[in-house]
Parts: sequence; structure tokens; C-alpha cells
Amino acid sequence: MNHDIPTQDIGPQGEVMAHAVDACVHCGFCLPACPTYALLGDEMDSPRGRIVLMKEVLEGELPLEDAAPHLDRCLGCQACVSACPSGVPYGELITSFRGWSEPRRERSPFDRAKRAAILKVLPAPKVFSLAARAGQYTKPLAPLLPAALRAPLDLLPEHVPAMQPSPRVTPARGRRRGRVACLAGCAQQALAPNFNAATLRVLARNGIEVVIPEGQGCCGAAALHTGARDEALRLVRRNLAAFDPDEYDAILSNAAGCGAGLKEYPVVLHGLPDEEQARAFAAKVQDISEFLAGLLREGDLDPPMPTSRPLTVAYHDACHLAHAQKIRLAPRELLRSIPGVTVAEVPEGDLCCGSAGTYNLEQPLLANELGVRKAKNILSTRPDLIVSGNIGCHTQIQSHVRRSGSRVPVLHTVELLDLAYRGEL
Amino acid sequence: MTTGNPEKVALSTTSPAPRPRSNGKPDNVLAAELTRLLGPKKVLSNLSERMNYRYDAIQFGATPLAVVLPESTADVVTAVRVARAAGVPVVGRGAASGLSGGAAPTLPGLVISFTRMTRLDIFPERREARAQAGVVTLAVTEKARPHGLIYPPDPASFRTSTIGGNLGENAGGPLCFKYGVSGDYVKELEFVDANGDVHELTRDAYDLAGLLIGSEGTLGLITEATLRLTPPPKFTRTLMASFPEVGACAEAVSAAIAAGAVPGKLEFMDQACTNAVEDFLAIGLPREAGAVLLVDTDGDDLETVEEERALVEAACLNAGGTVRRAATDAESAALWQARRSVSPALGRIRPQRMNEDIVVPRSALPEVVREVRALGDASGLPLVQFGHIGDGNLHPNILFDPRRESPEAVHDLAHQIALVAIRHGGVLSGEHGIGTMKRSFMRDAVDPVTLGALRDVKRALDPAGTLNPGKILPDEEGTHAHP
Repeated sequence: MNHDIPTQDIGPQGEVMAHAVDACVHCGFCLPACPTYALLGDEMDSPRGRIVLMKEVLEGELPLEDAAPHLDRCLGCQACVSACPSGVPYGELITSFRGWSEPRRERSPFDRAKRAAILKVLPAPKVFSLAARAGQYTKPLAPLLPAALRAPLDLLPEHVPAMQPSPRVTPARGRRRGRVACLAGCAQQALAPNFNAATLRVLARNGIEVVIPEGQGCCGAAALHTGARDEALRLVRRNLAAFDPDEYDAILSNAAGCGAGLKEYPVVLHGLPDEEQARAFAAKVQDISEFLAGLLREGDLDPPMPTSRPLTVAYHDACHLAHAQKIRLAPRELLRSIPGVTVAEVPEGDLCCGSAGTYNLEQPLLANELGVRKAKNILSTRPDLIVSGNIGCHTQIQSHVRRSGSRVPVLHTVELLDLAYRGEL
Repeated sequence: MTTGNPEKVALSTTSPAPRPRSNGKPDNVLAAELTRLLGPKKVLSNLSERMNYRYDAIQFGATPLAVVLPESTADVVTAVRVARAAGVPVVGRGAASGLSGGAAPTLPGLVISFTRMTRLDIFPERREARAQAGVVTLAVTEKARPHGLIYPPDPASFRTSTIGGNLGENAGGPLCFKYGVSGDYVKELEFVDANGDVHELTRDAYDLAGLLIGSEGTLGLITEATLRLTPPPKFTRTLMASFPEVGACAEAVSAAIAAGAVPGKLEFMDQACTNAVEDFLAIGLPREAGAVLLVDTDGDDLETVEEERALVEAACLNAGGTVRRAATDAESAALWQARRSVSPALGRIRPQRMNEDIVVPRSALPEVVREVRALGDASGLPLVQFGHIGDGNLHPNILFDPRRESPEAVHDLAHQIALVAIRHGGVLSGEHGIGTMKRSFMRDAVDPVTLGALRDVKRALDPAGTLNPGKILPDEEGTHAHP
């Protein structure tokens, strides 16, 4: 669409935003893909509407504070990107816009403190683990608390497991086929330490040496997607220093959100001196399912053992895998490679589960509604197991599935593979 | 396939989450009065809200003074009466996926957006559906299918567009060749007129329902409709043919139909369309072909369906085409998704476009597509062609970037294309309406006496000229824009 965005005043991120606005032909094909449009049914809470709002704010035609409530409601799920025939890079637009607008926002001191606390706790596994444990004891009080405080407690699992620090190097078993680096992740280490443990076991079993480089930290996606651009730049650069892409066949993430974050580095650094470095880094980034499916396709994946009985696995597409990274087939191929497993497709599979980074904490009502809908859709397939590839979806789905009274286990793709290798399915 | 499955998402109007609403006080008298009568949840008056109701898929118009999101016909009546008392124009809006500027207001006024009027009942024993205006088109078939029925009109935007919008534009779709357009499936209509009175129309006596269908919101606001449902054909077979040149594609179509084939769908897209879609879907469309033809033959008797496919295939081969049969349902679904994505995918070539919607006699097809192609080449503007070629309904699209190409040159080329259609005995619009885009060509297409009759109809139903002004009818000689 036509625009007068003063890109010269905004800098490189202005070009990114202007390009996205330019590409939108406002056809409306994105509307039915958008979770907030599905819930609220109005134009301002649709991708097309948000693009117009961002354009107007950037052009100075609309005060930021007027547009903000609608932009804040965007989950960043990028389902609209998958649905868009015109190729609008909406994810790049909203991320850049949040970075540009956050310093210009007027927020209450409470709001500021809450956001700062989230961004401090989330990327620090040890602090997060402590907070999660403390939260466990507070959980019985949850019904008495306001929604904004209740939401994080609702999401905590009944049992917060002990931290399991990962070894810096895990040697390959058998013939060594390759060497990869892994992102250890943040909240995931505290909430689901077995994701990393299973990842290391599965990779080692397939002859892959795994390094967890020292000095790495949070991928920066949470900071970036909430508009804390300076903090995000700090985290991005820390990881660029920690991972030397030349040393590894691939840089792996087992969290869809983090993987998408790592692949986004060149956009974050667009127009800055380290853009090239970010490009070389991002070219090596793969999701764990992508990497393992690569082995499978080449006949190099150690075959998993058959299950003891036929299992229906409901596979949940994490938005940051399916939409942001366009990875749909790889995890399904891996699951189907386990003899005895049938993959069930979830109705409304493309609709976000409502977790989306800090969304649960910032938009608890909408997040809850999407979570309820997702659990209902997943359970309608009558699964024996539920599998996803992202810690955010994992906690959200587990929480809502439990609340609906079901005890069906929720696992990471790589956990299922790990169990199959051990003959425990 | 890399794309989503958005058809399964239905709008829920029962969300307990806070509804977007005006913070603080409505910022004008119209909004204040509407809010007083309808309550704040149904009225949008903030600038951020109103700005989002000034466009459709082709054009940006004036920012409305207020937007009403009615939940019932009674809400529409209230809104229309308030607007009438205030003397401001009223524009109806569905999902705003239209391609002629129909839902983009030409003047500041009231926009009534029907997206929350989504009640839908299926009556399988009568093979009917009763749908409120905001029901998403595809939802009708989805809800009817368990009863062994479908709603055939299938505009490309059917996952987004609404029944009200479809009827306002008399939308078609690939199935229209054999099964007809939206208007052919209407048994009854409820509409609110310019005074705010509610009418129930059937199709007996004077076919006033037919008058409202395709009137683009200029004669009344359609609030509900009773729609005809049909059982889907038992068998469908798909084929894709590619041709070195668009004219050959049109020859194949004419020959196939002359030979007695009645395919369910007959669609074509030229090279630029194919490539834009392939950039999006990456399903292996033939990028080098000058034109691609997509055909479904369907029916309840497999032998006939296969015979018809063979007829089409032979016609394509005779015209110099190469033919590929879709081997699986998934393959044909992918091909049809490709066709549905053409229009927005053209945004990859240029950000703006002028969408023509001409219909010409099928016998003239080869000549018309070649003439249009030649006009495009001579103009130097990017011009693409696609459309429901079986009906002779072509969509020449002129793609442009206002920073690079002159809007006057675009308009001029569009006019020349319209004249080609008229010269070959065709018309200006098959399914997208006249809107603002083709309004100025109406004088070429319609004789003055008939134009006068159209104006009389408009005056009879909308004496003050407040319903969607500036659409369809060109300004009368010597006067300024219609109020």
C-alpha cells in the first residue's frame, strides 16, 4: 500500500518496515488466519488492520497511544505470513515496530516494573527456576489473585523439576558423523530440563557430537518481541560471540521460538556493522526436527524401536515452527518414523495456542481463551500423546489439557524419539 | 503445501475478552448519538478504529465519522436512522475483500461493518441456509456439508468474504461456469432501506431481490438471506494445461465448450500470474508457459466426468497445449489454491493494481485476450490476465506503483481495455461490481436512456443519495459528485 513513512528519519529498521507496508495489498486473506480476529472480529485486531495502524503511526497521522492497544494484542504468531499471497513480511514489521515504538511509549511505573521483571527473570534459568519453585508454593492462592498475576501461576506445572546442567561437550556415540552447537535455552532449562537431556541423547546416538558453547545466553526473542531493542541487541551480540558458525555443521535449537529468534538475527542487525556476521550465523541455524529429519531423509537416522501398542500422537504445530520457520513436515516425518505411531492432525491446527512469549502475562484473557480452544481441538483427536516442539506451547497446552481434566502426556518431539530409542513407548 | 488451513477458523462473537471499544468519549456528534442508542461495544469512534474501516482490497477512501458493528437487523435500523437524521452517507461493509472500491467510503460518514452478524442456520430438508450478512462464505458450505449439501458460489476470497458482501457485488467464482453466481442461489433477502425500514423480498412478482443483488450497497443494506444449497457432485476430475501463448488457451476453451463439454470450472492465468503464485506456493507450476488452464469436470456419473475431461484434453492438445492430469485430490486442491491466490499474489509484482472484470462472448475470447495482451505490451505497463475464461469473464489487471507509473496512463489503459470488451459485445463487470474503479466507463457501456432508468431506480430507493454515494453511476452531466 502507498505510504509516506520517513525511512530516512527511522534508519535501517525504517526500511524494513516500509518494505513490509509496501508489499501489503490489503486483500484481507490474512483475516481468517489471525487468532485475535477470530476472537474479536474487528479490523483493528487483524493483521491488515495492524499494518495500516503501524503505517499511520510511522507517518505521524495517528498517535502511538491510540494504535498501541491493538498492536499489543498481536501474538506475533505469523499465521498471517503463511496465509499471505503477497509475501508481506509481517513478522519483521511488527518486531521492528515494537523496537521503534517501545522507547516512545508512555507506561505506568507498575507496567514498566512488570516488563522489566519479566525480561530479567525469563532469560536467566537459575532465577527463573527459583521463581518457578516459589510460584509452586503460591499456586494454591492463585484463585485469589488478579488475572495478570494468576496467569503465570496457572501455567506452572504441578512439579517443577530440578535443574540438569548440560555438559559442555557430549561426544558422539559410534561413528562420528558431525558436530553441532546447541542453544541451551532459558525458561526451558528450568521447566523442562529433559528437553535438552533428550536432545543430547538422541544426537549422540546418531553420531553427532554436541557442544554447548560457553558464554551463550538467551536468544533475545523475548526482549525483541516486547520492544526492548537495546537489551535484544546485547543478547544477540553475546550469542554471535559465543557461537562460531565455522566450527559447527549446524547450530541447533530445540525451542521453536528461540530458533526463530536466532534466524531473525540478520533482520535485527540490518544496516549495522555486524549484519554479515549475523547472516553467516543464521545460515547455520536449524531446528532440532529439521536437522534430524535431514538425517532421516538421507537414511542416516538410527531407526527407532516400534511402540508396544499403536499410539495416536496429536502433533501441535508451534507457530514459530510452522509459520515463522516454515517447518511442518520435518517433525511429522520424525514421528512417523517410529513404527506404531499415527500422527493425528489437530482441527484449527494453524490457530495459535495463545502462549506466544510473554503474551500470557500481558494479555491473560485472550491467551486463556485461545488455550481453552486449543486444548479442546487437540483432545478432539483422542490422542494417546500430545507432541509439540516449543516450550511455550508445551506449558500452555499442558496447563489447559490438565484443567480440562485430561491426563494425556505432553512431550517434545525429541523426547518421543528418545523414548522410542529406549523402547519405552 | 506450505500454507495454512484458515478455513477452519470461525468467528466467535461470544468471546468474554474485552472488546475493542472507544476509550473515553466519542469524538463527534454522530458517534455520540450512536453510542447512546447502541452502547459503546457496537460503536467505534476512535481515530485508530475508524481509520481501519476506510479501505477494501483495492482502494483507500475517506475515514468514516463512526463505525457500527451491528449484532442484529434492529441495530442496523437504528444506525441507518441516526445517519439519516444526521444527513451523512452510509456504507455497508463485509470483510472488505472487494476489488472495485465498493466498500471504501468516498465521503466521511457511517460505515456499518457486518462481521458480527454471523448467525447461520441450515435447513437440510428444504436444502436451504439462512445466513446473516456477516457469515463468512465458506462457513455455509462447511456447515452444510455434514448434511450432504454445499453452497456453490466460491469467490477466490471465500475464506474471508461475507455473504452480505458477495450479494452486494453478485460475486462469482470458479464454479460459476456450471453452477452460477451468488445471485442465482438467493431465495429470499432481508434488507434495510435508506429510511431504516426493513423489507423481506422473495423472487416472485417483481424480482426486487435481483435488483438489490449486485447493487453494491447503493440501494439498501442486505442484512440476511435465504440461500439455496445443492448436493455436491459425486466425482470431480482436474486437469491443468499449459500453452505457449494466451490466445491458444482461449481457443482451446472455445473448442472444448463447442464440442459439448460442460466443466465445473474453467480458469486461466497468464505467465505473470503463474509466476507470482509460484513464488508464494512453490508447487511446481509451469513458469515458462504463456498461459495455464485449470479445469474441473464433475458430475454424479464417473464415465461422463471422464469423457468430458477427455474432450477438454483433446481441445487443449489441438490448440498446441500440454496437459497434466491431477493424480490425487491433494494435487487438485493445490492447483485450485493456486488459482485462488492469483489476485493478491500480484502484489509481488507491483503494490497497486487496477482490476478489470470484463465479460465477453466466448466466441470472441481468443481475439479479446490477444488484443488486451497487445494493448498491455504497447503501454509499457505491467499487465496480466486471468479469470473465469469459461464464462468469458476476464480479469485484465494493470499493476502499478504510483511512484514509478503514472495513474493517468493506468486509467487510460483500463479505459481502452473496457472499450475492447464493449466493442466485442461484452460488459464491464462480471462479479466484482463497478464501484469507483469502472464508474467512469459506464457512459461507454450503457446507453443514456438505460442510464437514466438506473438513476430513476436509485432515486426511488434512495432519494437523498446517502447509500454508498460515488459508486456505480457516473455523475450526471453538468453536476458535481452525487452527495
